[in-house]
Amino acid sequence: MDELLQEFISETQETLEALAGEVVAWEADPADSDRLDAIFRFFHTVKGSCGFLNLPRFERLSHAAEDVLSEIRAGKRKADPATVSAVLGVMDRIGELAEAVAVGAALPSENDDFLIAALTAQEEDAPAEDAESAAPVAVARQASAQSGPRTIRLPLTLIDQLMNGVSDMVLARNELSRKLRERSADPELDNVFERLSTCVADMRDIISKTRMQRVERLFAAIPRMVRDLGRDLGKRIELTLEGGDVEMDREMVEMVVDPLTHIVRNSIDHGIETPQARRAAGKPEAGSLRLEARQSGNQIVIAIADDGAGIDTGRLVDKAIAAGRLTPDAAARMTEQEKLDLIFHAGVSTASRVTAISGRGVGMDVVRANIERIGGVIALDNAPGRGLCITLRVPLTLTIIPGLIIRAGGQHFAIPRAAVVEILHDNNDMLQVSEVGGAKIASIRSVRHSMIDLEHVLGLEKPEQSGPRAVMVVRSATGVPFAMGVSAVDNHEELVIRPASPLVMASGLYAGMTLPDNGKPMLLLDAAGLANAANLSNVEDDRATRAQESAAQENGAEMVPALRFEELSGERRLLKLSLIERVEDVDTSLFGRSGGQAFVRLDGRLVPVANGLWQFDRPSVAALRLRDDRREACYPVAAVLDIVEMPAVPDMVAMHGMLSGVAVVDGEHLEVINPFALFAALPEEADMGRARGRCVLADAEDGWTREILAPLLRQAGHDVVMGLPVDGPVEPDDIVLCGGADAAQAAEVMGCRVVQLRASPRPVGPRDGSIYRYDQAALMAAIAGGRR
Amino acid sequence: MMDELYLFAVLAGTRVAVDAAEVEAVVRLTDISPVPGMGAHVAGLSALRSRVLTVIDVAALIHGRPMPAEARRLAIIANISGHSYGFLVDSVLDICRMAEGPAPLRGQLDNAWAPHARAIVENEGQPWLLVSLAAFIEGGALAQAA
Repeated sequence: MDELLQEFISETQETLEALAGEVVAWEADPADSDRLDAIFRFFHTVKGSCGFLNLPRFERLSHAAEDVLSEIRAGKRKADPATVSAVLGVMDRIGELAEAVAVGAALPSENDDFLIAALTAQEEDAPAEDAESAAPVAVARQASAQSGPRTIRLPLTLIDQLMNGVSDMVLARNELSRKLRERSADPELDNVFERLSTCVADMRDIISKTRMQRVERLFAAIPRMVRDLGRDLGKRIELTLEGGDVEMDREMVEMVVDPLTHIVRNSIDHGIETPQARRAAGKPEAGSLRLEARQSGNQIVIAIADDGAGIDTGRLVDKAIAAGRLTPDAAARMTEQEKLDLIFHAGVSTASRVTAISGRGVGMDVVRANIERIGGVIALDNAPGRGLCITLRVPLTLTIIPGLIIRAGGQHFAIPRAAVVEILHDNNDMLQVSEVGGAKIASIRSVRHSMIDLEHVLGLEKPEQSGPRAVMVVRSATGVPFAMGVSAVDNHEELVIRPASPLVMASGLYAGMTLPDNGKPMLLLDAAGLANAANLSNVEDDRATRAQESAAQENGAEMVPALRFEELSGERRLLKLSLIERVEDVDTSLFGRSGGQAFVRLDGRLVPVANGLWQFDRPSVAALRLRDDRREACYPVAAVLDIVEMPAVPDMVAMHGMLSGVAVVDGEHLEVINPFALFAALPEEADMGRARGRCVLADAEDGWTREILAPLLRQAGHDVVMGLPVDGPVEPDDIVLCGGADAAQAAEVMGCRVVQLRASPRPVGPRDGSIYRYDQAALMAAIAGGRR
Repeated sequence: MMDELYLFAVLAGTRVAVDAAEVEAVVRLTDISPVPGMGAHVAGLSALRSRVLTVIDVAALIHGRPMPAEARRLAIIANISGHSYGFLVDSVLDICRMAEGPAPLRGQLDNAWAPHARAIVENEGQPWLLVSLAAFIEGGALAQAA
């Protein structure tokens, strides 16, 4: 009996959830008998089951609803909004009763008679509600195939147990693998273990799929909400739901429900105008609200678009100024996007009055915080007067994120890699930490950040350590970046994140936890939470950048970042930073010279040395690795000093050799390297032994091609491939040589260059672009020309 | 509501009875990783195979005195709204079925215990405070954390 009851309750609850949308859709189109049938069936089933299970209240309610619906089916009655409300009311009550039965509580004792009366009493005043107050919501749902694959119902706990079991298995496998590595290698054993390992990995992938759920579930409650809100506010809304069949992690669905609900409420309350206002603005009376979900890579994108009033950024700014969060001065400098971002600040809302629906001060800041907590991003696309589109991008699954393992106070913590902008050691010259009145300020390349020590925020001891501490610049998307000192950054890993208990989450410092292979649980830090806990100021220090920008504007000069370095000959020079791929110390024994040109052997390749140096008086030199779009070069220097802003055009232009002029930076005159001259001076690439495009000979069977053309090309130093590759790739810098026009066309389709040869000395016509096959000079020029 | 199964344990120096339906297991914890930034009532996290328990120091929650580290050995495991918790106990004595069921509280209860005790269960002639593990989390710990 108990089991039957359980089954009945969960089935009822599930059907209710699914039906809420149907009822609303049916109201919009009362002629839709399919939907009416579905609703009728629901009440009928409930009625039947509860007679059997002896649940008299369920029976009375469903019986009354069934009666009304059958009258509507018979055409004796119209499905007016009041009737639909009453039907919805009965459905709600059934839901409440089911809930009560499920938890074993006493049934709520409100009088059901009232509801039933509401159902039947409509008959007299139904005609009063004429067509004018037609259905406030029209739902267009993308048709989806009704008959899905065969499924069974499983309790969630079973799936969770399965998940845990597989996780246990993975942990055991990892330990076994560690043990195996300690022993001497046994290929046979390794093979078997490898197989087991693959099975376990496959298993884990499959099990994690059971966590996926259709987004439809997320959408299920929306139509009902839109309808009720629309009625309350006297607005008409046309709702479109799309992409309900996209799947996402079950936990993710739970996390997105609240933000999504909030956005939809906002949109109806503040976005979409009343029918009168819409008419005045020349828009259709019914506002449109469109929810769309789609998968994009490993993200789920949920877009909520309305055609309402959009966000009035001017009012946002006024509010922010009134709230003391912004100075009028700063507001005047803000871009439109920055103004729009104000909506994410706490306590700023465009709602001119507080309504029951939204505008209670719990606003978009909370929405954004919730979305970001799960690693998502929220974006606004505002068209004032025409509508607003809010896009949520959330990861497909909560479970795996790239993270950094850091050490602080003798403990390990994880932090999402996305939150970390930069990592420095505190003995780095670019970093200066100063203290004033207890506050620590870190200046990194003359940008000031608030500096906190993780140990301090978490209330941990800061142990003495011999080496330098690591300072990471951390940015949560809500706040201003800040510098955080930790003992060390240990590792970079893909972390399997699981939610921490509400108790731990309540501290606001953590976003979850993870269980690494060593079996010691590790906490995932929440960057925004840390900044909050440390009471960091959220006032953007844009003075430095603004000052630079305005200074640059006054001088009319554009500033670019440049590297200041010292040449081996002792001069200090500047080089545009964007050309420098990285800086590394290179062993001087790797440098050499051939044919008057200096080379250095790096990563198994010969790279030209830009300043021609190859003999040094020290065992290793700092080398700038440079790259234009194609070529790379190495530039050995005595020392890298720092990164500065230099004018894009030097203060004194004086082109000679590799220099383009002199720039004054911080009162120091520095020669600026001319990147154009630098790369132009590099030896021809063809002599560099670098990989080049191949010559693909399309007519591989042709005797002339094979015996005469191929050897000629090989002698000239080209790579020759016989025949068009069947499945292999044709690279863009390959050149196809062929005789026939059709092969030429085929090759052109593949997107590579074609040289067409002809046997006769004369071209066939004026538009013939082919080359006479014995015209060696033209042939070689065509091939070389193809290379550019 | 008669004839219920209870776990009898000593929790924060007091004899308590816990409804066995709340108890998933009693385990010996090996290693507890602290959770910095939390009150003393959160002793830390501990891995039980692939599950991670949030370990609650009930003594700290009730008396404000954390349990000494070497005494943190035994814990009652419970699943409360989908999360696994471990409640540190001094010792676990018995699990048995009580015919009488809970009796109403009598006498002046210590202020510290008052919010947590619901009733009394008689076992072997002695009264045991009936406590709810879920209430420790929902009533006490979360309120302190907030």
